[in-house]
Amino acid sequence: MAREDGRAGRRGQGELEGQVLGALGEAEGPVSAAWVRQHLGGDLAHTTVVTILTRLLAKDVVARERRGRSFLWTPTADVARLAALRMRRLLDGEHDREAVLASFVTALPPGDEQVLRALLDIPGADDGGTGA
Amino acid sequence: MGVFVFLPLVLPLSAWPVARLAETRLHPRTATRLLTAVAVVMALCSTLCLALLMVVGTAQLPGNPLPDGWSDPEVRAALPYDEVAGRAAIPALTVVAAACARTLLRHRRVTRRARRALAALPGPTVAVLPDSAPYAYALPGGRGRVVVTTALLAGLAPAERRALFAHERAHLTACHHRHLLAVHLAARANPFLRPLRTAVLYTAERWADEEAARAVGDRRTVARAIGKAALLSAGTPAPTLAALAAAGPVPRRVAALLAPAPAARDWPSACTAAGLAVWGATAGALMSAMSSANSAVTLFLTLQAATPL
Repeated sequence: MAREDGRAGRRGQGELEGQVLGALGEAEGPVSAAWVRQHLGGDLAHTTVVTILTRLLAKDVVARERRGRSFLWTPTADVARLAALRMRRLLDGEHDREAVLASFVTALPPGDEQVLRALLDIPGADDGGTGA
Repeated sequence: MGVFVFLPLVLPLSAWPVARLAETRLHPRTATRLLTAVAVVMALCSTLCLALLMVVGTAQLPGNPLPDGWSDPEVRAALPYDEVAGRAAIPALTVVAAACARTLLRHRRVTRRARRALAALPGPTVAVLPDSAPYAYALPGGRGRVVVTTALLAGLAPAERRALFAHERAHLTACHHRHLLAVHLAARANPFLRPLRTAVLYTAERWADEEAARAVGDRRTVARAIGKAALLSAGTPAPTLAALAAAGPVPRRVAALLAPAPAARDWPSACTAAGLAVWGATAGALMSAMSSANSAVTLFLTLQAATPL
């Protein structure tokens, strides 16, 4: 599952984040970085696992508590939320994503909003689900 | 040869009015295919023309590896303004090649990154993301995947959700990403083709809308789904997600769905405006292609005659 150690840093970082979060999800309660490392097969360096956990912490998908001299980690979000975060980051970073991804709707300039509401007879923003 | 050597470079201008006509008068499926084909043919011809000009331009440079005969006066005489045009073609072709390569690389990068981001999620055809930003995408590759956020799904009624999925699946089954990539590359090859790109971006959406309307069986539902999704996105606090897109096409799509379905007939007769659009575009592309082929053959023969055996 895990990539070779040398390349783990940059290329597979997204995949590794998913794997580490998945491992945390399988644990019964808070676990240490060493546990995560062992659970993933032990191919990764300890520092790599800690780096990934710290990155996940910055994304607010894991929490940690101090236990003695090290930290114990628990997931606060699931794999789906991590995927959502990564997709969001990808979309925010690509100026030309319309070239690749066909989106459902494009942005609405201010003038178009009234036109659209008039066309569809939608009075306000808080219109519930009145579809057919 | 004469000035008509340059025709393939400027003929894409003739596509502007026909793109506009095809967009409104043709069935979106026909319009997408036709405009994509026209854009690709014109881009290829324009690039070929540029390449031939570059050969002549390179032959004039001192120390170039091309045969000496290629810079003979006969060769130069075949090309009007050979000094300027030949030399200008060298950087122009470089720019075109670099721009196309960048577009291709970006296309691969975005697809790969998106696929990797969603790799851990279950479900081969749909990926539902818990996100407060309402958006939906069709991610090509394999059987393709519909990416949609919980925020968008929450804002739509059940029938409208079916319309949304039908729309995205239509993108995937019809391989719209290939059309889009083709017109993006064409627009890079010749900037005069940009209006064609805009038109195809719109007609591909309309095509998927029509497919969704067929699948759901109610045009108004699809119209409402699009309208609500757009209004939801408009109120999103994260402006970057929506702010980059082209302005204006959403109300047109909704209006088109509220109108009766377009005629499914693919090729209208030449007596109508729609027919004129089709035949005008085809004639323009043919002229461009013939002009380019003519220039290529003439230049090839000239160069062959100038090559010492």
